[in-house]
Amino acid sequence: MTRGLFPTQEIGSLAKPRWQLLGQRSEPLDESAKEELRSWDARVGFASEAPEVRDALLAGRPRETSPDAVRDLGALFGLRFLETAGLDRVYDGEARRVEMYEHPIRQMHGFRFGGHVRSFDNKYYLKAAVTDEVRLDRPYHIDEFEFVKGHARAQPKLPVTGPYTLADWSYNEYYLARQPGWKGRAARRAAQQEFVVDLARRAVRPTLSALIERGCRVIQIDEPAAGTHPDEAAIVVDGFNAATEGLDAEFTMHICYSNYADLLPTLLEAKRCRQWAWEFANRDVPGHDGYAVLKLLAEYGDRREVGLGVVDVHRDAVEAPEVVADRIGRAATYLGDPSRIWVNPDCGLRTRSLEVARAKLVSVVNGAALARAAFENPRR
Amino acid sequence: MIVRTGLTGAFPRSEALVTATRDLDRGRTSADAVEEQFARAEEEVVALEQRLGFDERTAGYLRWPDLFRPFAETWEGFTVGPLTRWLETNTFYRQPILLAPPGRTPGAIAARLPPPLLRSPKTARVLLPGPYSFSEMLDNRSGETDSSLIHRLGRLLGDEVKELRGRGFTTFLFSEPELVVRPPEGPHAEAVVAGYRAVAAALDGGTSIVWTYGADARPAFPLLDRLPVSVVGVDLADTEVDHIPAGPSRTGLGLGVVDPRTTLEEDPAEVARVVRAAHARRRSSTVWLGPGAPLDLLPWEPATRKLHVLPAVRRALSEGSA
Repeated sequence: MTRGLFPTQEIGSLAKPRWQLLGQRSEPLDESAKEELRSWDARVGFASEAPEVRDALLAGRPRETSPDAVRDLGALFGLRFLETAGLDRVYDGEARRVEMYEHPIRQMHGFRFGGHVRSFDNKYYLKAAVTDEVRLDRPYHIDEFEFVKGHARAQPKLPVTGPYTLADWSYNEYYLARQPGWKGRAARRAAQQEFVVDLARRAVRPTLSALIERGCRVIQIDEPAAGTHPDEAAIVVDGFNAATEGLDAEFTMHICYSNYADLLPTLLEAKRCRQWAWEFANRDVPGHDGYAVLKLLAEYGDRREVGLGVVDVHRDAVEAPEVVADRIGRAATYLGDPSRIWVNPDCGLRTRSLEVARAKLVSVVNGAALARAAFENPRR
Repeated sequence: MIVRTGLTGAFPRSEALVTATRDLDRGRTSADAVEEQFARAEEEVVALEQRLGFDERTAGYLRWPDLFRPFAETWEGFTVGPLTRWLETNTFYRQPILLAPPGRTPGAIAARLPPPLLRSPKTARVLLPGPYSFSEMLDNRSGETDSSLIHRLGRLLGDEVKELRGRGFTTFLFSEPELVVRPPEGPHAEAVVAGYRAVAAALDGGTSIVWTYGADARPAFPLLDRLPVSVVGVDLADTEVDHIPAGPSRTGLGLGVVDPRTTLEEDPAEVARVVRAAHARRRSSTVWLGPGAPLDLLPWEPATRKLHVLPAVRRALSEGSA
């Protein structure tokens, strides 16, 4: 299939609609949740694909359906939401996932959850310790991919949490204990290297392999932790290479809120990564060109695609298509090749309301169209 | 060797407190019910500190959203800014934005101290941001130069110490990760020394501890050795023992020997060995042991469990020196 310039894609999760959250708990929908279901159905058209679930929810009889069927409807909603926004690559808005860490870890042996850590204010997350050798119980994300594959009208792109992030968000107990002597910086680094590669080989790779066997062609490896310890960029790369070794699919790597310059050129050693999908819009503010870092890729001679974050997922203000087009234009200039650019939000949009997320996605699509027109018909 | 032990930063919230604060945000519980959980958890931390034989109590600083928030919310010139990554961790603080030269609000920080400390100030260890880290980790839009700001924050923190001394507090720990993460040079380094002189002038016989973490302290030691403080602490998870300069030291030696980055419990014998090696280099009369960095990178239960290494090390060191 040939694509025009600046195809578009999503990056990750969407906020879950209230009707889904209530329905999953088998709680009757209140009037506002019913209205939310009806109005989004009118706009993106999904509920008629599972009329019995829709009818049970709207009739206030959630027990006539099942939590799994409600999740299926949530996944359909995510798919249609993204497709009707006009994106070329889509997923289900991660409608079945609670978050990106706990679910994969719970599919593995060797981990123990020991309580909550404060992220900020009154926000917390569960963090597990690796207490034994990592073993995969069973490949994960299989059912959700099968569902997406069976229902998607656009090309699916599946997000999978990368081994470095899974390790960085865990406590390293087992591998650190194997290091002799004082557990200082050098021991921690060696233990982390071992942990990440084990996770990649024993858990992430078998999962990717199973997904590819079922027809998954485009896989986004999410490594939001990659920038946390810039001196560990080589471990990020080792994890990526081990997770994808011998596998045939189109791999992208998503990183956000990091100083990319600190990760380069080490990151370029990721062998099978076809696209860097990074956040840029958040840092593109008056007086600071958020896209200038792309010059580094050109300087290093890296010719891979770039998934260009053009809308900020942490602000409600919706970027105008002209702003998006300007960002694409600058990126194309820095890269020296517009054909390598995919256009996307900075990161998953789940921190925004569905209304804002939708407006931002439409702006991504319209901004890409403006940029495409400008590049393909420069005299117009 | 005299060994003193204690917490060096905030302690994690208990699971009950996690639930209560989450419920409060979701409108499922009352502020009074959350206050009850805060009070209970603070008493549990104090009881733990007593049980483990710590020399001072902190009560965990469980109410402080982050190290800077009480200042950003109460001092003049500040507003509370965006979420910002806390060092190389997956936790965040709200970056203070300084819009005008800062000014203290008398009584404001004292009012935010954990209530158990207010009841027993003589046995309390007050945790404060160090002037350099405070200056480096805020967004300075005040127009004041960085070195001037470092000095000014040192003077303001000195005034804070003076007020708290008046209320009976004697021990003050300044959290200073940036001193080793981005060691200051030139005028900035001089401003740090001047800032701590202002603190020293306010101490009036009290104890000041500068606690560093987040990077290897070796490049910062020439400056750390100049600080007019009672104790300088380094995190041994980041600093190799042989990076500690050899030779006698004017200040007490603080050693971070409990690593909050892992749930793996430290081996008391191994810790004692490393502490002896560090002490042999520095030959300070007193060694202050504690977590290398704030323990709130861990959940409550593993943090509690890991702290038990401190009395064990203390025993091992006293047996070894007998």
